[in-house]
Amino acid sequence: MSDTENASLSPEARELHDGLDRVWGNPRGLRALTVVNHTTVGLRFIITGAVFFLIGGLLAMLIRTQLAFPDQEFMSHETYNQVFTMHGTVMMFLFAIPILEGLAIYMIPKMIGARDLVCPRLTAFGYWCYLFGGIILTSSLLLEMAPASGWFMYTPLSSGEYSPGRGSDFWLLGITFVEISALSAGVELVVSILRTRTQGMALHKMPLFAWYILAMALMIVVGFPPLILGSILLELERATGMPFFDVSGGGDPVLWAHLFWLFGHPEVYIIFLPGAGIVSTLIPVFAGRPIVGYGWVVAAVIIMGFVSFGLWVHHMFTLGIPQLALAFFSAASMLVAIPTAIQIFVWLSTLWLGRPVMKLPMLWIVGFLVIFVLGGLTGVMLALVPFNWQVHDTHFVVAHMHYVLVGGMLFPLMAALYYWLPQVSGRMPSERLGRWSFWLIFLGFNTTFLVMHWTGLLGMRRRVFTYDADMGWGLYNLISSVGGFMMAAGIALLLLDIALHFRFGKKASQNPWNADGLEWAMPKPPTAYNFVSLPAIETRHPLWEDPELPRTIEEGRHGLANIDHGRRETWGTDPLTGKLRETIHLSGNSWLPLLAALALAVVCISLLVRIYPLAAVATVVSIVILLHWSWVNGAHPKMAPDATVAPGEPPLHSRTMNGPGVWTMSVSHLANGSLFLSLLFGWFYLWTVAPEWQMPATSPLSMPMLVAAGGALTLGTLWLVKLVRRLRQHDDTGLSGGLYFAAALGALQSVLLGVVIWQADLAPTETAHDATLLVALLYVLIHALLGGLLCLLQGLRVGYGYVSAEVPYEPVVVLRLWNYNVVVYWILFVAIWGIPTLLGGG
Amino acid sequence: MMKHLLKLTHPIHLVGGVTLWGIWFVAIYGGLSVACSVAPPAAEQDTLTGINVVIGILTLVVAGLLLWLAWASVGAARKTSLRRECYFAFTSAGVYLFSAMGTLFVGIPVIFLPPCL
Repeated sequence: MSDTENASLSPEARELHDGLDRVWGNPRGLRALTVVNHTTVGLRFIITGAVFFLIGGLLAMLIRTQLAFPDQEFMSHETYNQVFTMHGTVMMFLFAIPILEGLAIYMIPKMIGARDLVCPRLTAFGYWCYLFGGIILTSSLLLEMAPASGWFMYTPLSSGEYSPGRGSDFWLLGITFVEISALSAGVELVVSILRTRTQGMALHKMPLFAWYILAMALMIVVGFPPLILGSILLELERATGMPFFDVSGGGDPVLWAHLFWLFGHPEVYIIFLPGAGIVSTLIPVFAGRPIVGYGWVVAAVIIMGFVSFGLWVHHMFTLGIPQLALAFFSAASMLVAIPTAIQIFVWLSTLWLGRPVMKLPMLWIVGFLVIFVLGGLTGVMLALVPFNWQVHDTHFVVAHMHYVLVGGMLFPLMAALYYWLPQVSGRMPSERLGRWSFWLIFLGFNTTFLVMHWTGLLGMRRRVFTYDADMGWGLYNLISSVGGFMMAAGIALLLLDIALHFRFGKKASQNPWNADGLEWAMPKPPTAYNFVSLPAIETRHPLWEDPELPRTIEEGRHGLANIDHGRRETWGTDPLTGKLRETIHLSGNSWLPLLAALALAVVCISLLVRIYPLAAVATVVSIVILLHWSWVNGAHPKMAPDATVAPGEPPLHSRTMNGPGVWTMSVSHLANGSLFLSLLFGWFYLWTVAPEWQMPATSPLSMPMLVAAGGALTLGTLWLVKLVRRLRQHDDTGLSGGLYFAAALGALQSVLLGVVIWQADLAPTETAHDATLLVALLYVLIHALLGGLLCLLQGLRVGYGYVSAEVPYEPVVVLRLWNYNVVVYWILFVAIWGIPTLLGGG
Repeated sequence: MMKHLLKLTHPIHLVGGVTLWGIWFVAIYGGLSVACSVAPPAAEQDTLTGINVVIGILTLVVAGLLLWLAWASVGAARKTSLRRECYFAFTSAGVYLFSAMGTLFVGIPVIFLPPCL
């Protein structure tokens, strides 16, 4: 039961609550699958992530059972390979990132005073992709054909020759599917944080947690595409024989290592940053004072976000890279200790200057501090090349990684669980059971992994399925296994605690921890619309400065306290100042996200079983669904056909030229650009490094055709620029004709590119050169088709009255795509035709 | 618009220092890799190679630029009367300073390591 139902509200306020419930409420039964609300979808992410955590934990226990004694035959080495690969994969891709994204999806709108994320259907789509991708991936365990090449899938071990089964395909396709979810959440979290903070919440006043999530989301947007590209290339190699990573065909397996770690190292920080954000949120609350050095923390987060992209080669110190290059990465790896240390000293100073209260969430924070600092110290040791060479691929590295990840992510996550549990359930957690579970997990963890450093220093390699008794590792492995099971008992107790909590937990007060954050100004459990009215916030500590805020919000005394229009609305504000700019109207519940994800799941499965005609049909179906999704937007009858807003309120975003869709498209292009740059990196890397790379004496591509295709694209872009400029002047004469013309130019570019590919007579299964050229040309061809198709739809929408001088929003969004296309096309032209022609073959 | 972005009180400078650091880092790593692939110097030259000299000079230039930007950001923070701008400029100054130090620190190995061995 929500708090609001107990409140004594005026009839007007009650009517407002009821109206909001009608518009925002979640349907039940089968229609619950259509829910797009961030609270519900965020919880689904968290619960699904927790289930995958249990699966990953179970796999860990199998590993510890196998290693507990020397010469064990509990598992065969084939099974062991699958188990450790899936343990790492499940924990990293299906637990750590999704559950933190789920937390961000759940918390961010509540913390910044918004009613939902900016693209609710995208939130739901991301969840379904995650769920289906996760199910596909874990089903490989049941089918006994799980991937077995380790969680970073190094080639050539994961290539067709050495992993001929379907295991690698499960990994590559399943992970890519799940990454759609990560990217969609990343994009919309960035835009939501920048554009939907409540009135007055300037950038330098937003909660620190939002800064951390902003950095995390941007890192996802830039960091995931290299792995997506790598996965596509490796799957193409496995399915069709394109030799991207095969030396004999002009490829290079080290390219995979680069692409993987370009993603893989930032991922560690993608996981750590939300954890640190939780710590920076909770410590001031339990110390009873504002954080010391807000600006220092922001600077540290920004530095971490960037520097973490400059460390990827420290995972490749033994690959034969020149020492000077190793020294650069070694130094950069040590450099990242500085922003980490800044945060640790900020946290300690806040505790020192405050009056800390050791409540349950705080206990987990202390556990985090101890474990994470130890993990950080071994990290600095591993950054030193000579030491790294000595312990490379040993259990020392495994222990370090767990100290950093479990310390940096799991412990803060548990703190967050207990801290925000009253917000979800309206009840307080049990201190007694919670403390038991903490100590079991804390002691179990240290028993497992502290000892494992020693096992590693004694020379035990990671991923060996058993060892000889004479090696002298038996006792240490046994201790680690006992610790592992102790930790598992702690997790079981924690689950029991949570289960009992919802039945027996004491009722929580409005602000049970005396916190400063806006999320505690909401009813508990939260309503689907979060806030009845949206307050103006001009402080970093809204509840400490105005304890009456929950009541005034509930009474509808703040902004957007009107639901007569029947729209789901939240504020659109200036990213820097927090001044009101638009009223953002959001989509309601929809089947489209589920259907689109289902169609993509069919694509994934049919590629897996190599029924390509079915994959093609499912791809077309998914494109049709996604285009229909784009159709139900803006002035469409299901969205906001009526542009009326209350007096004094800003216009609907679809009636402006710079709404969140423009931002979403721009942030998406960061991801797209990252993928493109990774492709360019692959091209130049293979060209300069791969020993058998063959550059033909003359380019097989027709220069006149390439220039003509680029000309059509450039003309179409300039045409769209002219149309958008006219729309800014409220002039929509010739709009539909202009859009059709741009669509025709997009089609012309596509045809010309098709001719280029056809004329080139490439042999993509024989040389990495031709394979890379083909992928690059297909990349621009897909963009050309998309640009043309979207212009065609825009032209049709003008006819329906969904796009006009009064609703000028969408052509601006489409123009962003064309701008991106034209820049990328000419860069690619220079890279694949210009430079090779200039330098000649060889 | 560009003039607005160039003001050191604009929040874009929060990421300016680390962006410059990142570009420099990619340039020295990429440049080193390409140079070693295309024209590796003789092993006997040890650290007295054109590659080391070029990377060293680039490092000093970039670090100098970053130090100047840090100093200028502090000046901009002191001049402005808006609290928000003061906050952004001071935070940017910290990031520029870190980036300058980071550039020098990462660049130090060119003094004592040969480039392509």
